[in-house]
Amino acid sequence: MGRYALKRLVQAVPILFLVSLISFGIMQLIPGDPAIIIGGPNATPAELDLIRKNLGLDQPFHVQLWIYYSNLAQGDLGRSLLLGKPVLDSTLERLTPSVTISLYSLVITLFFGILFGVVAALRQNSWVDQVVSVIALIGVSLPNFWFGLMMMVLFSVHLGWLPTGGYVPMFDDFWGWFRSATMPAVSLALLQIGLLARITRSTMIEVLRQDYVRTARAKGLSEWMVIGKHAMANVAIPVVTVIGLIFSVLISGSVVIETIFSVPGIGSLLGNAILRRDYPMIQGGLLFVASALLVLNILVDLTYALFDPRVRYDGGR
Amino acid sequence: MIRNIFATTTAAIALLALSSGAQAQYQCARKGGDLVFGQEAKANSLDQHTSSTISTRNVAMNMYESLMTRDENFSPIPELAESVTESPDRLSYTFKLRQGIKFHNGKTMTSDDVMASFDRYMKVGIDRSIFSIVAKYEAPDASTFKMTLKQPQPTFIENLSSFSVPVVIVPREIADAPAMQMPVIGTGPFQLVEFVADSSVKMKRFDGYVPDARYKDIDGFGGYKVACVDTVTVKFVVEPGARVAGLETGELHAIEDLPTKSQERLKTNKNIVFKPLKNFWVQIAIPNLSLPPTDNLKVRQAVMAVLDMDEIMDAASDGAYALNVGLQYPGQAFYTDVGKETYNQKNPAKAKQLLAEGGYKGEKITLLTNRDYPSMYNAAVVMAEQLKAVGMNAELKVIDWPASVQMQEKDDKAWNFFFTGYGTNTALGGVAAMRFHAPPFNTYRPKNNEPDADFVAAFNDITNGVTLADRQKAFVRAQARFMDQVLGVPFGSLTKVQAVRSNVDGFRPFRIPRFSNVSITN
Repeated sequence: MGRYALKRLVQAVPILFLVSLISFGIMQLIPGDPAIIIGGPNATPAELDLIRKNLGLDQPFHVQLWIYYSNLAQGDLGRSLLLGKPVLDSTLERLTPSVTISLYSLVITLFFGILFGVVAALRQNSWVDQVVSVIALIGVSLPNFWFGLMMMVLFSVHLGWLPTGGYVPMFDDFWGWFRSATMPAVSLALLQIGLLARITRSTMIEVLRQDYVRTARAKGLSEWMVIGKHAMANVAIPVVTVIGLIFSVLISGSVVIETIFSVPGIGSLLGNAILRRDYPMIQGGLLFVASALLVLNILVDLTYALFDPRVRYDGGR
Repeated sequence: MIRNIFATTTAAIALLALSSGAQAQYQCARKGGDLVFGQEAKANSLDQHTSSTISTRNVAMNMYESLMTRDENFSPIPELAESVTESPDRLSYTFKLRQGIKFHNGKTMTSDDVMASFDRYMKVGIDRSIFSIVAKYEAPDASTFKMTLKQPQPTFIENLSSFSVPVVIVPREIADAPAMQMPVIGTGPFQLVEFVADSSVKMKRFDGYVPDARYKDIDGFGGYKVACVDTVTVKFVVEPGARVAGLETGELHAIEDLPTKSQERLKTNKNIVFKPLKNFWVQIAIPNLSLPPTDNLKVRQAVMAVLDMDEIMDAASDGAYALNVGLQYPGQAFYTDVGKETYNQKNPAKAKQLLAEGGYKGEKITLLTNRDYPSMYNAAVVMAEQLKAVGMNAELKVIDWPASVQMQEKDDKAWNFFFTGYGTNTALGGVAAMRFHAPPFNTYRPKNNEPDADFVAAFNDITNGVTLADRQKAFVRAQARFMDQVLGVPFGSLTKVQAVRSNVDGFRPFRIPRFSNVSITN
């Protein structure tokens, strides 16, 4: 398994190189100029030129690219033009809110998504199935920013249970974190619950038709054992794949949800960087997120072996 | 004879002190507490020398001070300067510094720190072009700072006291910091505790702060300032709905930019008090004189003839606006309504006649706008419909703000009207209000970059007129030319409504949220 993981990591290098090259190239192509943002509306053309010179933006493309990769080779993702801080530091600062809220959201997604999917599959075509389908459809269709605002009106303004926004670090005050993270996590989970419920349902229906399930029932196992042990184990692989994808979406952050709830996460950091043409922040942030997603994908692939004994990564059978 | 250019101001302050007799200097209604403010835009830096954004200034100017600043009506007043004298040849200005002023690091301010602050500003300060007139500056002694000009410039003090990107005074130890990276150490009533870029700022009362005893109360950016609350937390809450919800629940004590739709609902809420800030900015569209058909004066005049400014401003501001001719507001020293006959005409017949006279043949008129600022987008949408109603081939081009600014600057073939807003510059007075239409800016893209000669002559007289009356007369000429030649289409002035909880005492709307002289009463 170790060799497989190493092989995958080596394969990730050209992917990351491509990501960095594309993000660097796109930044050169899109209109908009960080000097205008930094200089503000009063800056003269000469001042804007000076800002560009100070930032190295007056250099030709190949020179800027060379400097970028030279720094990257030394582990330096660059310095944010607008925050005035190293990109890596800025990204790591924002990682904790995004990761903790994503994990919280994932827990909610797994619980309700799998529960709804399994229940709907077991009661296929009954009213229970219909209700779950409607819930899943609502989850997929409702804009999460609207749902977030409605939750804010209900739980913050009318009931006073939860704060309207902000983020409390988990390790400083767990209860404060729980209260501040709940609405963003639920808003993020809404869409994913719908997706996971639908996939779990269809996979479970397929599995329930398999011979080994019929055999398990025929030998007199309880329904709990049939579903909980034999069926679920086979539902796990496609579901784990989807969970990997869901977590990828969550970890890369949601600009909208982080903006509405004033969460200082990766999504809002990159969103603002794009709006302000903070080139190093965008390039470095994208590279960081791409690296995290590649590692996550490798981890998901490695977990297949836990759920399916047929999967081997050491070349054996 | 050397004259103290603030003789009038200081005499007025002294008279006020005498006449008010028993009226004491500002006293806090209550001391203590954490004031939580919901700001609409995120600040990415608190380096006041190198950031021109309003979001930075909102926060930073509660921690920094300058030699000179602007009062409630945006006239220059001394802040860290005790006095300012102008030499008889009007070539030098000598600033005596207030004594005993401390920085947040405990150090006492001297002219050496002022020198270092100006050194840094000349290197990286965004508005440093205003000092191109300066031949040298020096510190003859620890409490004196002197600037010498290459030639007399009557508006020099006006420029020096600008709050657009002010020359805040910082200790020498940090004055060599690169752009955007200067630690926050000022002389203001609040000092920095924590800054999470794009998220929040925490400030606390600076116990070593020396209030300016020449004043009775806060006055614009200066005056007698007292930190009544222990701490201030500024949260960047971009989503309007979240800001309103925070104010309703009491998580936020005060917010900026309360949406008009929420005002209707909150009108009856006794816990919330509205603080409207009138004349926040002039909503404006700038024509492109290098591209047909807006290179044609008749076409531009036809545009002015047809526009219904009420409709446009209503859409742009959700109803919070005032009709306003030109680039200054009533009450400002340079205000004039000259050109009013060209404003808000709502005359389609005249527009069609002008189009016919100008030989307009249905050429495309591109309105360049963005969705980042809804007022600009909404103004463009309504204007496009009004132009179409008289047969003009108006088309919206909607991109994001940075891209639209760049397109306006670099691509004179891509747009006919560029939508923006003049906020700080209109507040700063006559020169600043008109500067975007004079060299080197020429935002209206004159053909071959040759600006309108009459307008430039008037602008130069605004800058160089010896007396205020001379400069005011020049401003009238400049605005008359501006409106007649349609060098800009000013739609009206936009009101920004701030709001506070009813337990917040002393919060007065201004161009920045001022946290001094504000108390939480319970």
